[in-house]
Formats: sequence, structure tokens, C-alpha cells
Amino acid sequence: MKSIPIPKSKQQLTAAKQTAVGSKVKAIRNNSLVSRIGSKSRWISLIYRTFVYVILIDLAFVFLYPFIYMVTTSLKHPVDLMDFTIKWIPTSMAWENLYYGMKGLQFMTHFNNSALIAVLSVIGQVLSCSFIAYGFARIKFPGREALFFLCMFTMIIPPQTIIVPLFMQYKTMGWLDSVLPLIVPSFFGNGLRGALFIFIFRQLFRGLPWELEDAARVDGCGSFKVYWKIILPLTPPAIVVTTLLSLVWHWNDFFEPSIYLTSEEKFTLPMMLPRLYQSLDTLTGSSFEVFSLPVVMAATFMALLPMLLVYFFLQRYFIQGVERSGLVE
Amino acid sequence: MSERRIGLEKKKMLAGYVYIAPWAIGFALFMCYPLVYSLWLSFHEVVGVGNFELESVGWDNFNKAFVLDTQFIPLFISVIQDAVINTPLILVFSLFIAILLNHNIRGRAFFRAAFFLPVLIGSGLAMQQLLYAGVGKDTLVNGIGVPDEVFLYMGPTFSQIVFDMLSRLTIIFWKTGVQILLFLAGLQGISISLYESARCDGATEWEMFWKITLPLMTPIILLNLVYTCVDSFTDINNRMMVYIKDTAFTNIQMGYASGMGWIYFMFIFVLLILVFVSTRRLIVYTGEK
Repeated sequence: MKSIPIPKSKQQLTAAKQTAVGSKVKAIRNNSLVSRIGSKSRWISLIYRTFVYVILIDLAFVFLYPFIYMVTTSLKHPVDLMDFTIKWIPTSMAWENLYYGMKGLQFMTHFNNSALIAVLSVIGQVLSCSFIAYGFARIKFPGREALFFLCMFTMIIPPQTIIVPLFMQYKTMGWLDSVLPLIVPSFFGNGLRGALFIFIFRQLFRGLPWELEDAARVDGCGSFKVYWKIILPLTPPAIVVTTLLSLVWHWNDFFEPSIYLTSEEKFTLPMMLPRLYQSLDTLTGSSFEVFSLPVVMAATFMALLPMLLVYFFLQRYFIQGVERSGLVE
Repeated sequence: MSERRIGLEKKKMLAGYVYIAPWAIGFALFMCYPLVYSLWLSFHEVVGVGNFELESVGWDNFNKAFVLDTQFIPLFISVIQDAVINTPLILVFSLFIAILLNHNIRGRAFFRAAFFLPVLIGSGLAMQQLLYAGVGKDTLVNGIGVPDEVFLYMGPTFSQIVFDMLSRLTIIFWKTGVQILLFLAGLQGISISLYESARCDGATEWEMFWKITLPLMTPIILLNLVYTCVDSFTDINNRMMVYIKDTAFTNIQMGYASGMGWIYFMFIFVLLILVFVSTRRLIVYTGEK
């Protein structure tokens, strides 16, 4: 019975949405039940809410921990690192760690590589997956269901199963050690989890009213124009979700770039992380192995920073997008 | 009149194929052909390293994987073990967190943003660096604020078990970002009026969870189950992937690597079919398809 006194803000929220019948029901409930149970259930509700907050804050700490750890460690001097009484806040900021981290990663070169691959792949996936999804969602043709099933089926093919033939294929095509194997599949609705993005777009397109399309067709729009001018502009949620997920996954991807890219100047930014020590040693001419944790963390942070910034700016739209993208019917 | 209609319909059908064409080309080039070729390759082995000269070896590669190779089976089992242990935990925790986040709480935006953050580092090398640095070992212990005395009291063996469990849980938590979002989307999709009417009939939160939330979430649970399975089988920290890669590109045993890849793929395939078949009756679909 603890559920009866709904928190005030929620009450207001739901009240706004409710119809006349709904509010009448609420009035009855407020009058009879709440007065009967009274303050006892209010206590239970308070305890319940406190409990929820404690758990959420605890969990949020666990989820934020890698970032907090990364940032604080990256700003520590070696002395602070050894001192176990200093857990979070360093006594002095060691900004030079960030400098060494960037140097060790050769930040600008590899940032450009990563950005090129990630941005082109994202553009490719958003365009191609939405285009393909339009066909799957809005046009009836024989064999559509079977093809869509096949498309979804590709989601479960592990990359390691097809990596060897792909490698040989790209070798004969002369695509090895270039960004082409990483970008071109994205433009064909494949690439990293392309099927998932087709699924997301299709779910959303299916939910859009047919009248829009019919009206446009009466006015003489071809189906491509309908897709490009009407359907696609109506789906920013799916575009944001796809963009962010695709960007992050391509940015962090290690498996495929590590196989197709062989010369170091073409490596992506995250691929430089395991080479950090080596690269720092040659850079400074001394051994960085000792007390290098802060520099490693600084480099890790730098490698993630672009994604953090993008997420920071997109996260509001992203989370709204997931809720509205009809990912789930 | 009717002739023209059919013409239009046909034209529309053709348009459908035009839309699917990019995918069909991509599928043929980057999925289907490699998959078939990989199967063919798994019955062959590279003999000349320079120009990938191939020789048919029959079932030798599969025989090697299951009988001769002392590494394959233990690795395979450990990967399966990880998936079997992690998947239910990930599902339960992400559903739990999603339900908490679906409450009307203060700072909801902050919490939602926070819970998705690990996806940014999720399976990347950055996560590996963090794990090497020992993050994850004591996070949960600190997070919940378990005092050290508790561990002292429990004795070394037992506290070690608890400690290992907690570190495992931490890493599992960091893998729940996408799943939480999917569950949240699903929870938002459940109509409030269902809960309202249940409340009027005197249902408790607990009852409403079991009678409304859970049944309506079953399609999303299935989606998440598939996603989590696939994700855990293709994770970068998955040692099987590293092993296959090394076999193919360091030891140049491409046939054997393809064979292992196919064993792996068939396993996932059969597993997912089993999941679909066994859950078919449990899934509640609402509305029209």
C-alpha cells in the first residue's frame, strides 16, 4: 500500500496528462485511501525514496569511477601517486602529464586518422542505413520479410569468423593499409553493427503516419524525395542515436583497424595506447616505465576526450532520442 | 485504369528493391562472400606463406580444434562461461537500474548521462588500460562503502571470494549502458493508464512489477539478451578473438583460424536459436505487428 501517496511532482505531471475520467479516479483515491492510511505510508514512501537515491548515487559513483580515476590520476605527480593518503585530489596539478600523453600518442596525426575514419563511417552509416531502412519499412515488395531477417541475422556473425577472407579480399583489391576497408562497408549499410542501425531506423519509420507520405505523393513527390525531404527530417532522434553510437563504436574499434592498418602513421588514436611506453621512451630518450601510470592515464583520457566532448553536447538529445526512437515497440 | 494501377504497384515494388540494393551489395561483398569463403577455407590450410597457396585438408582443422589443440577448448569454455554468467547479471542489473531511473527523481538527467558514460570506453582499448591500472578491483567496495573490518571479519578465503565477485560485478556494471537505455525506452513505452487502473484495483508496486512491467518488457528483454550475447562474444577483451587473430595473422594458419571462427559462429547461432525457441511462449507482444 506504500504506493498510494504519489510524490507531488509526479502527481502534477500525470495530472496534466490525464483525462477527466482519470482525474476523477485520482480524486476518489486521494479522498478515501490516503486519508485512511495517512502518515504511516508517507513514512514508508520517504524511506523508499531515500533508498532509491542511496542506490542511485552509489551506482552513479561506480559508473563514473573510471572517469574520475582517469582524470585525477592523470593530474598526479609521481610523489602523490605513491602516497596512499592522497586518493582523489592531487597536492599539485601535474599538467605536464597531459603534455607527455599527447606527445606519446602523437596526438594530432592520429587524431586526424581516427576522426577521418569515424566521421566518414558515421556519415556512411546514417545515410545508407536510413535509406535501406526506408525500403524495409515503407515499401512493400516480395521477399521483404526474408531479406530483413537475413539483414538482422548478420548482426550475430562474429567479426572473427569472416576476418580472414575479408583480409585476403582486401589484399587482392589493394585496400590493405588504407582506410577504405574501414569506411566503404559503412556506405553499404554494413560496417560496425550496421544491421542494428537499420533496425533502429526501420522501427521509427514504421511508426510514422502514412498520410504524410500519401499527401506528398499526390503532390508528385517520388519515393526518394519522400524519403529525403519528409521521412528523414522527421527522425532526428534516430539520427542522433545512430550518430553517437556509430561514432563511439568506430572510434573505439580496435579489432579491424589493427588488422587492416599496418604502418604506424595510419593508426587510429586508441591503437597508439599500447605503444605508449615505446613511443615515450624514444621521445624522451629515457625510460618512462617508472611512475608512468599518470602519463598513461593522461594519454587514455586524451584518446577519449573527443568522444567525451561529443557526448557532452549530444547527450540530452541522445537520451531523448532513445526514448522516442521507437527502438522498442 | 486497372492496368495503370498494376503498373504503379510494380514500379513501387521495384523502388523497394532499389532501396535495398546498397545493403544487398554490401551484404554480398562484405558478409556473404567472406562467410562462404571462410567455410571453404576452414577445410584448407595455407602451405605457401608468400602467395597464400592452399591445400585441402578435409576435416583436419576441426579435428585439430577439438582434439589436438590444447588451448582451444579451455578458451572456448571460458568464453562461454563468461557469457553465461555475465548475460543474466547484465540483464537483471540493467533492468533494475532502468526501473530506478524511470522514477520521477531529481537529477534524472544526470543519472541517465552517468549510466551511459562507460559505453564511451566500453569495449575499447581505453578500458583495457584502465583495467590494467587496477580500476575495477576496488570500485564497488568503495562505492558501496563496505568497511575494511567486514573483510577482516570474514576471513581471507571468503573475503577473497566476495572481493572477486564485487570486481566482476563492477566490470559487468560498466557493460550495461546500452541495455539500460533500451530498457528505459521500453519502460517509457508502457502506458501510464495501465498502472493507474491497477492502482485503483489495489495492486502494490511489487504486484504491478510482476503483472505489468515484466510481461510487457519481455520483447525488450529478448532484444537485450541477443544484444548482450553478441556483444560478449565479440568483446575485445574476449581472449578467443585474440587467439583467432594470432592464429591467422601471426602464425599464418588461416585455414585453422577460419575453422575456429566457424565453430564459434555455429555455437552462437545454435545458442540464439535455442533462446528464441525456448522463449517464444514467454514473450508478450502487444498491439498489431
